[in-house]
Amino acid sequence: MHNVQVNGEDILKRQLELAEANRRLLEEKRVVAVSVMGAIGSGKTSLIERMIDRLAGQGLHVGTIAADSAGDDDHQRFLSHGADSINLNTQDDCHLDAHTVDHAMEHLPMDKLDILFIENVGNLICPADFPLGTANEMVVISTTEGDDMVRKHPKIFAQTDILVLNKIDLADAVGMDPQRVVSDYSRINPHGKAVLTDARHEKGIDDLLEALGFECTNTQ
Amino acid sequence: MHEYAVVSELINALLPQAETIEGRIVGVILKKGELRILSDQALANAFELLAEGTPFEGARLIVELVSVSVSCSSCGYEGAVDHVSDEVFHFAVPILSCPKCQSKVDVQAGRELFVDRLSVQTPAETDSR
Repeated sequence: MHNVQVNGEDILKRQLELAEANRRLLEEKRVVAVSVMGAIGSGKTSLIERMIDRLAGQGLHVGTIAADSAGDDDHQRFLSHGADSINLNTQDDCHLDAHTVDHAMEHLPMDKLDILFIENVGNLICPADFPLGTANEMVVISTTEGDDMVRKHPKIFAQTDILVLNKIDLADAVGMDPQRVVSDYSRINPHGKAVLTDARHEKGIDDLLEALGFECTNTQ
Repeated sequence: MHEYAVVSELINALLPQAETIEGRIVGVILKKGELRILSDQALANAFELLAEGTPFEGARLIVELVSVSVSCSSCGYEGAVDHVSDEVFHFAVPILSCPKCQSKVDVQAGRELFVDRLSVQTPAETDSR
């Protein structure tokens, strides 16, 4: 038996190149993009809605890419908050990729936008392997999923610098300890920022915007 | 669950070279970065199925893990990172932070996914055993 060397090109190289192309386009258009990953039902859409309201209130132009397996519910919600939105049905795909985002951006008024939220499919595994080329990434989980979420999906949290724990108002009701999530996260990602929010009652939204690097001085 | 897509891409990329190889391909050695969230078992299962009817049929997909390696712009450190490996997390999780000065780091290795080499057996090699 003997070894034969092969060219060694990365199988996901094309994905990385496309993500890099997205990054360049976003920079050129001066659009700050945020990739919003997270669990199903954790409140990704609600958080984005609240952020749209705050940012639009400051005169900023917000765009959204709403990705779901099917339907356009999230897209409609973003539109109703005044965002320029594109609906993306990934059908049987469990994650967005840079190529899909590239095409979605072709249908958005990129010259007008200041901020672009890209809501990924609800999933805590696959999206982490597919960079989209955004400047910021955040992962959303909620108290109702339990306080062991970081332990169950450590790799995505180890690589994502903002963790949002939403529905913080329900922590007591479901008997979960937010501090357990925060401490697990700080152990595997010492540079990460954990933000506690209650999107429904608009709590913690300014903290989240600050973690994302958006100044919010004149809200509420 | 994108292991099938990954393996399909892998096989297609290797086919031109594989068809020129004399002998039987018995192993495909895949280097997988520690940060990649791909299941080794799912990759092996996908390979077994997708290799049928190709020069890779009957070969094994062997996954070799590439450890995370980083560079620190604060103190100049280059190398491996610490891991959280207590039972809470069940397996070692790399910490993307400088082990010397605790600053933020740039990841230099640990996200790759590529075929490093093929293991090939020629008729002569089989006979000489």
